Amino acid sequence: MEVNITKENKEVTVKLAGRMDTPAALEVAAKLEPLKEEASGTIIMDCSEMTYISSSGLRIFLSLRKAAATKGGKIIVKSISDDIRQVFMMTGFLNLFQIED
Amino acid sequence: MKIKDSIDRLTVKRSMRTGILLVIVAAVTLEATSLIQNYFAQKNLREEASMRAESRLDILESEIMDVINQAEAGVRNKVWIAQWCLNIPDSLPRVAQLVVKDNPVLVGSTVALVPGYDRDRPLYAPYAARTGEKGDSLAFLSLATESYDYPSKEWFTKPLEIDEGYWSEPYIDVGGGEIPMTTYSVPIRDTDGRNAGVLTGDISLDWLADLVGDQKIYPNSRTIMLSRKGLFMVSPREEVVMTMTVQEVVSQLADSMSFKAINRAMLNGETGESTVTINGDKHHVYYAPVERTGWSMCIIIPDDDVFSGIRKDDMLILLFQLLGLAMLLIILRSFIRGQMKYSELNERKERMEGELQIASRIQMSMVPDSLKSFPERHDLDMAAAIIPAKEVGGDLYDYFIRDEKLFFCIGDVSGKGVPASLVMAVTRTMFRGAASHEDSPERIVQTMNDSMADMNENDMFVTFFLGVLDLTNGHLSYCNAGHNPPRALTDHIFDLPVRPNLPLGIMQGFPFEGQETDLIYDDALFLYTDGLTEAENGSRELFGEARMDAALHGRKSAMDHLRDIQTKVEDFVGDAPQSDDLTMLFIHYLGTGKGEHMTLTNDISQISLLAGFMDKVADENGLDPGLAMQLNLAIEEATTNVIMYAYPEGTEGKVELGASRQGDNLIFTLADWGKPFDPTMAPKADISASLEDRPIGGLGIHLVRTIMDGVSYKRAEGKNVLTMIKHI
Repeated sequence: MEVNITKENKEVTVKLAGRMDTPAALEVAAKLEPLKEEASGTIIMDCSEMTYISSSGLRIFLSLRKAAATKGGKIIVKSISDDIRQVFMMTGFLNLFQIED
Repeated sequence: MKIKDSIDRLTVKRSMRTGILLVIVAAVTLEATSLIQNYFAQKNLREEASMRAESRLDILESEIMDVINQAEAGVRNKVWIAQWCLNIPDSLPRVAQLVVKDNPVLVGSTVALVPGYDRDRPLYAPYAARTGEKGDSLAFLSLATESYDYPSKEWFTKPLEIDEGYWSEPYIDVGGGEIPMTTYSVPIRDTDGRNAGVLTGDISLDWLADLVGDQKIYPNSRTIMLSRKGLFMVSPREEVVMTMTVQEVVSQLADSMSFKAINRAMLNGETGESTVTINGDKHHVYYAPVERTGWSMCIIIPDDDVFSGIRKDDMLILLFQLLGLAMLLIILRSFIRGQMKYSELNERKERMEGELQIASRIQMSMVPDSLKSFPERHDLDMAAAIIPAKEVGGDLYDYFIRDEKLFFCIGDVSGKGVPASLVMAVTRTMFRGAASHEDSPERIVQTMNDSMADMNENDMFVTFFLGVLDLTNGHLSYCNAGHNPPRALTDHIFDLPVRPNLPLGIMQGFPFEGQETDLIYDDALFLYTDGLTEAENGSRELFGEARMDAALHGRKSAMDHLRDIQTKVEDFVGDAPQSDDLTMLFIHYLGTGKGEHMTLTNDISQISLLAGFMDKVADENGLDPGLAMQLNLAIEEATTNVIMYAYPEGTEGKVELGASRQGDNLIFTLADWGKPFDPTMAPKADISASLEDRPIGGLGIHLVRTIMDGVSYKRAEGKNVLTMIKHI
């Protein structure tokens, strides 16, 4: 799993590429941990190249979302595949996240 | 056999001895009662004899006394005349004449004066005697002769001596016809009180024999009359009458002591009774005196006469008793014979049962020990049990693994007993032989059938089910030969579809058709013989399939299932005897079956291997990528859960994952040997909760539940198994 974090103005873009299975999620979680401090702004989760996500991955999304909520920022989930949308739907995440194409 | 024969003879002897003892006891009892009866009968008869004898003696005495009294009176009444005539001695013959004339019983009379009383005649004893045929004329004689010497005679001296009337000893009258006589003499005193002489009256005793012998109270009874000195006055032995004394006779007799005692008593004038032995026979003697005369009478009655009644009865009773005892002996003998035969039969039966038990043990030893079947294998949990009926039966099962294939069979030989168990042994041997090189159940069954039909002369057949389970992929091929179909245990319970074909050994060359199916992880087969479903309780109800299925629900260890069924059968049957062998075989397939399987360790990095595994499953089953990804997700969630929580931190553990296809279902199994944990019991995640309320965790199980169509958990033999099914 590749993680690419880019900052542009007050917008942080996290590009996730590959399979976000549990071992991958553990690594990603560590990498994204500092982002929680900057959650007052906008974080764009670019999922266009993410092919798979497990519940561990979803937990990263959720914990970021919670951090943003307390800091007054927002999370935008961008370009998720239909399959992952399904997973979001199954877990009720579609209601928790702003999803953009 | 020699020992056995002598034991038999000994038993017969002992039994016969018991029988004879019984007869003896019966005889003794019978005899004792009849002896008691006899004793009282004898007592009665003795009393009767005594009574009859006494009354006879009474009658005799009174009849004799009639004569005696008449005679005495006849003499006494004339004493005063004789006294009065003492002064006129010449008139004394007239007195004697008067005595005789006035009294018909008297045949003679004398007035005998004391010598010298009459001055003219020193001896004077005028005698008047009845003569003539009718005794109606009288003759006068004188007893005062030189040769007779009357003053010395007893009849003269005794009355004067004792100063009262006296009966003389009987004697034979020499002058008057040789008849026995006796004389009654009364003393005569003159007016001065001096003894003057005696007045006598003679009576003949020839009537005594008639009187006494007149009547016999028993057929062989005898009456004897003795004088006071023991002279025989009356006796059946005529030669002794008036010639011999009883003392002379008795001294010649065998039982003289008894006789002497009796004689003494008789001569003392006593009344009594006694017993004597005459010529070896017992006799009863009753005796009584005749008053005043000094005579004594006795009646002698043979013992046989007294008891002739009961002697006759005795014989009859004895005859009946003997008859009864003989019958008892015969009955006892036949009873003992019967007993012998029975015990012989019993013995034979016991021996046979012993042999059958050995046969049963041999039979049991032929089937594999089911307690721990293949404990080393993780892909198989199986157990088997035969609960043999008391009588050796013909059930069999067998199994073995060759080339990762489980060969198993169950069978029921028609009939029971040793023949059935032999056929069972043959069947089992053939199974082993045929299955050692052949994988196809139908060919194995055909081979077995042909061999058995060939040598089956007893028209015995075997219902048989043979299965070959490929443990690597769960493929089951099987062939049924007339046996009841096994129960298949998947997510439900049903009869494994079988072609009935024919039992083994009926028709040579019969084309048996095999069948096939696939088992997946956690499927099980339950094979049984009809001894189970047809187990009968006391009310003749059958155990039946419903009760059997109730014990098959859920998954326990194979052994627990069998124990459960056995307990249920025992509870159901109660005390009713088990009529048939009961055989069960439980095969629980725990392999991954056809499809993919992999083994992981409890390291979270292993999760990365799942993708490749799931790609293969998706490929094999032609899954679209979306579904493939979802299934991947579900399996990952379940596996992560296990890796994270099943084993204590720092310990290594194994996780087995399998995926197989069953019709339109994809079945995933996840097994671990860690602590028991049932993820299906986890609380449902609330996916509609607000952001604030959403917990960070708990989504994994939720995803598994959401993606899969069925999730079940089972813990068995220290193993957690999570089965997940997806309908595709």
